[in-house]
Amino acid sequence: MTPLPVRQRALPETVRPLPSCHGPYVRGRGQSFCGPSKMATARGLVRAWRRLRLGVPPRRALWGGLRKKVKEPEEVETAVLVKEPPILVCPPPRSRKYLPPEDLQSRLESHVREIFGPSLSEDWQKASLKESKLKYHLLAQLAAELGHAVPNSQLHQMCTAGDVLAFYSTQVKDASKFDELCTAELPSNLKIMWEY
Amino acid sequence: MTARGTASRYLGSVLRNGLGRYVCQLQRLSLAFSPGGQSSRGARGYIEEKVLDFAKQNPGVVVYVTPQKCRSPTVVAEYLNGAVREEIIADKTVAEITQLVQKLANQSGLEIIRIRKPFHTDNPSIQGQWHPFTNKPSTLPGQSLRRLEQQPNKV
Repeated sequence: MTPLPVRQRALPETVRPLPSCHGPYVRGRGQSFCGPSKMATARGLVRAWRRLRLGVPPRRALWGGLRKKVKEPEEVETAVLVKEPPILVCPPPRSRKYLPPEDLQSRLESHVREIFGPSLSEDWQKASLKESKLKYHLLAQLAAELGHAVPNSQLHQMCTAGDVLAFYSTQVKDASKFDELCTAELPSNLKIMWEY
Repeated sequence: MTARGTASRYLGSVLRNGLGRYVCQLQRLSLAFSPGGQSSRGARGYIEEKVLDFAKQNPGVVVYVTPQKCRSPTVVAEYLNGAVREEIIADKTVAEITQLVQKLANQSGLEIIRIRKPFHTDNPSIQGQWHPFTNKPSTLPGQSLRRLEQQPNKV
């Protein structure tokens, strides 16, 4: 923000702005032509007196002397500020990539049999997870082993071991389709521009 | 406008394409779409699913895919004879875009304007175009004089 010109700062609001004098050779109201007009000098004195009253230091040069002074310290400060702040880089979020292992079925079966014990029928996939303890143990073990947990929104859908198997056999990719396209082998006549 | 006021052309093919081998007349296809933006939804879907297949099926066509911030996605087709055709694919489904791109690939670069005649042939006549002097006996100047000499009485 540019600093306001000194004239505006010095004058309080109740005082009417003095009539503008465009130069020493423009006729004021009823003023005869003279060199630097008497009105201008008088106005200058009045302004200086007012400034002293308000406690603003008098300006040395006519045009913009104080402005330069005000500008410089601000510029120096901003430059200093830019160099100083510490660089805090946010670590990238944990990737939610998941690839189902090949022996998923056998692993799952062994876990289910371990947790359910002898009460399991032959078809382990139909074992119901209604009991919260069994469900918790199974899902916690699988999450720890495979590094991929069932999200809270889908917990209610895990009713049988078959559902759990279906969930863990779905692959999860965290790359967007465009990243996939980039990494995939494109035919030589397809060009995708990545800079956007 | 009337047919007279608009442009028209005669039926033709580009260098008798198809008579011998067939050459796909589409030279390059430029797809410009926005990575965000609802009007580019179909375009994005097309690029995710279909563009790879199209590129593999048409190895003679170069496909440029440019994601850029634009209001409406477009597909620009350039042909071997220099013709350029731009189509807006905003708010189109993936199926519609696939159909459109296939149509562009099947076209030659000749303009889509009124065709004056639905037929064209390079050999309009085999035995020669008829004119009033066809099938009329012709007489050389020498022959007519001999006849006059032979039969001076008959006129």
